[in-house]
Parts: sequence; structure tokens; C-alpha cells
Amino acid sequence: MKYDIVVVGGRIGGSTASIFASKNGADVLMLEKNQEIGTPVQCAEATSSRTFKTLEMEPSSKYVCSEIKGADVYAPDGTHGHLEGGYAEGFILERKLFDKHLAIEAAKSGADIMVKTMVKGLIRKEGKVCGVVAKHMGRTMEIEADIVIAADGIESRVAQMAGLNTSQTTKSLCSCAQYEMVGLKTDPDYLKFHFGEKIAPKGYAWIFPKGDNVANVGVGVRSNTENAYHFLKKFISNMDATPVELNIGGVPIRGPVEKTYTDGLMVVGDAAGQVEPFTGGGIHITAHCGRVAGEIAAEGIKKEKTTSNFLKKYEKRWKNEIGKDLKDSLKYRKILDKLTDDEINILAKFLKEQDLKSISKMSMLGFVKEYPQFLKLLKDLL
Amino acid sequence: MELGVKMIISTEECGYCGACVSVCPHNILELSEMEIIAHEGCEECAFCMVVCPLGAIKRGEK
Ligand SMILES: Cc1cc2nc3c(=O)[nH]c(=O)nc-3n(C[C@H](O)[C@H](O)[C@H](O)COP(=O)(O)OP(=O)(O)OC[C@H]3O[C@@H](n4cnc5c(N)ncnc54)[C@H](O)[C@@H]3O)c2cc1C
Ligand code: SF4
Ligand code: SF4
Repeated sequence: MKYDIVVVGGRIGGSTASIFASKNGADVLMLEKNQEIGTPVQCAEATSSRTFKTLEMEPSSKYVCSEIKGADVYAPDGTHGHLEGGYAEGFILERKLFDKHLAIEAAKSGADIMVKTMVKGLIRKEGKVCGVVAKHMGRTMEIEADIVIAADGIESRVAQMAGLNTSQTTKSLCSCAQYEMVGLKTDPDYLKFHFGEKIAPKGYAWIFPKGDNVANVGVGVRSNTENAYHFLKKFISNMDATPVELNIGGVPIRGPVEKTYTDGLMVVGDAAGQVEPFTGGGIHITAHCGRVAGEIAAEGIKKEKTTSNFLKKYEKRWKNEIGKDLKDSLKYRKILDKLTDDEINILAKFLKEQDLKSISKMSMLGFVKEYPQFLKLLKDLL
Repeated sequence: MELGVKMIISTEECGYCGACVSVCPHNILELSEMEIIAHEGCEECAFCMVVCPLGAIKRGEK
């Protein structure tokens, strides 16, 4: 078997890359190890309009459960801040349906897809990646390709096989557990975030409403002592609601990996650490990078240029377009990591009294005078 | 299933999320559709145990 491009992984990163590579004339095969695209879900399903802009799609009720107007954020002592619109605005998806829809779009654009097919190795000639070795229901096959796009998620091994370092550490991976719960009374228009060492150490707990009193209720933690599921059970212990789905997973939160391309291969999405470190949001970033990878791959095929020297354009483009957002997000995450519960409480009380859009220098100075421990934080921010 | 001499993964508790695969410094773990595959070479660092959301990986007492 021979294709121009083989895409490994059939969710957001894989389907987006396949759509844009196929639309630009390349012959694409997308491989997904699971028998059903989109399951098991490993996501709280919140995203922004940026995702749809990138995909050149309209948000459709086929896969959008609810529209979100803002967010309520709770400090460890319960101090509550409200965010309206802007960054906090967006949608809650039904990822199973959304991911399937994207795969359908990829197929409609001309991509071939094989499910229940797991990539086990790479074909390499003189160091360049030239295809994959895959296993489909017990049968091993070699598939040649001029370019391989690794969109194989957090459990990625494909980019590592090509010599890229995509591994995570216990500090850089947020461990998550979530129940989709029915009968939960929560404001259907707003996300809820809860912070605190006892609620979700080095992470946060969330409630994302899907409409009709259904919500994703989850926690993301970095803890050496207790696992995410332990904190989830604690968080829901007083909720009068019934779980209908358990989702678990790891979110990479130290920013993109060092290098995202090599001879004949690009890596996108979770596999490349392309996730906003502060929020853990990866859908819009993965879609963006998937699109860039798909377009660059198709261009490389047309020009018969598939080595590192050409594929570095992929990294240059995504860094140009979203690199700064990811860097800023990492900065905020690192600042938050350093704050104790008490400090978050103090900060939350201060911010609550300010008009966030026109926060004055005088009020900041007054605050830092009263709480000098925040001086360094302020310096880091500015 | 035994990973190293001491590390044990409970296939009954595993939820097939791949978090453990991403942190194994020796790259010995692999997640197929519904099975964690452990190749040889576990050094018992327990990173996989720390990140497992369900606590499916434990250090055995041997
Ligand atoms: C609990 C949790 C909550 C989250 N909540 C949000 C949120 O609310 N909003 C947001 O924006 N982001 C969220 N994220 C992050 C978001 O889910 C990811 O960033 C996004 O799904 C990444 O997409 P991807 O295509 O890179 O990888 P994935 O969605 O992980 O897809 C990878 C695919 O590759 C397949 N695969 C892996 N290895 C192989 C192989 N060898 N051969 C063939 N196929 C293979 C897998 O089966 C899988 O289908 C969350 C993550 C978690 C874990
Ligand atoms: S204990 Fe360490 S070396 Fe062994 S499987 Fe787990 S992460 Fe890998
Ligand atoms: S981290 Fe835990 S639940 Fe996830 S695949 Fe590994 S053993 Fe299974």
C-alpha cells in the first residue's frame, strides 16, 4: 500500500490534518486504533468559536450541546468571581459526535480511513520516515507514505519512534477524572471552576453544563499522594446527581515539545503538547496545528519536498500563529502553581473589588504595599 | 499484570487513557485498543503510578 500521507490517530488532530491535506490535493490515509472514532471520550468538551473558524465550519446542533456565556470561578475559601463573555465564552461539544463528524468530513474530502488499525512501527530509509507498520485485527501491514503525521494523542509513541522527544513527566501531566452527570442543578449558561489544594491540588475542579441538567463534572490534579478519581469522588460527594459516563485522561501542561517535525514526519495535538497550559484546553490548538500540518504536508507533496528542511515550515507557522498564546498561558500556569490557597484567596478578594477591564495602577500599588509577597508575581506578569 | 518486579497494573481497574504511557521514561508501555502492553525494561520509577487517574497501578510488596 502506498499513500502520499499517512495520519496516525483519528480524532481532532488527525481528522483536521486529513481534511486540509485532502482538500489540498494529497492522497491521505488516516489510521485509528479504536474500532469507533471518538470513544472513549477523554475531554470536558468546552471550546471556543476559534475551533470552528479554523475548521471553516459552523457550530451545529448536531454536535454542540450548549452555548456558554461566561464562567464562575471559586477561590479555595469560596470567594467567587464572575467572568462574562470574551475569553470565557464558547460551546460545550458532544465530542463523540464532533470527532465522528470531523472524520466524516475527512472522508468526504477524499481521505481513506481505517479503524481498528494500530500503528506499531515506522518504516525508515536512510533515517527518513517513509511509512508505517500497522496492525489490523491481527494482520500486520506495511504502508508506505512520503509524510507521516502523528496525531496519536497523549499516549503517542509514533513521534518518539522517529526520534522526537514527546514524553511527559509527573509534573507536566495533569491527571484527570470526570463524570458526566444527570440531574445536576447548575446554571446552564456558565462554566464553574473551583480551585484549592484540598479540592484539586495543582489543578482545578470543573462543572461544564451540557443543557437539560446534564453536566461534565471533573477534576485535574498533580498529586503524589491521591489519584484524580479520589478527588472526583470527594468533589461530587454532596451532589444529588447520577453519573452516566466516566472519562479519564492526562493533559500535558508544560507547553509544546521541543521539536515537532523531522525527516518525513510532523507531530500535532496532545502528542506534541499543543495544549494551553493554564486552562488545559487543547481542542482549538490541536485543530489549528492539525490544519497547518495538513496544509504543509499537501504543499510538500506537490513540491516533492518532504524532508526536515521543508517540514520545518510547519513549526515556524504554528509558532508564529499561536506560539505566543501558548507561552503566555504557560507563564500564568507557573504563577498559579506557586500560589498557596491563602494567597489565591487574597488575590481573589482583591480582583473581585476591581473592574477587571480598567484595573488601575494605583489600586495595584496599594495592594502590593499591603501584601508585599505579591510583588514578584506582579513583576512576572508585567 | 506485572510491569517490573514490583510494579503491578490492574487490568480490571485500568480505563485505557494512556496517561501512564506518556510518562514512562523507558518507553516500555503501549496502549492498544483495550489493553496496556508492557515491554521489558521497567525500572520501577513509579511515574506511571503517580499519574494514573484511577489508581490502577500499584507497587507490590515482594
Ligand atoms: C479529562 C480531560 C478534559 C479535557 N477537557 C478539555 C476541554 O474542555 N476543552 C479543550 O479544549 N480540551 C480539553 N482537553 C484536551 C483535549 O481533549 C485534547 O487536547 C484533544 O483531544 C487532543 O486531540 P488529539 O487529536 O491531539 O488527540 P486525541 O483526542 O487523544 O486523539 C488521539 C487518537 O489517536 C489514536 N491513536 C493513538 N495511538 C495510535 C496508534 N498507534 N495507531 C492508531 N491510532 C492511535 C487514539 O486512539 C485517539 O483516537 C481535555 C483533556 C482531558 C484528558
Ligand atoms: S514504573 Fe517507571 S519504568 Fe516502570 S512502567 Fe512505570 S513509568 Fe515505566
Ligand atoms: S494511566 Fe491508569 S487508567 Fe490510564 S491507561 Fe495507564 S493504567 Fe490504565
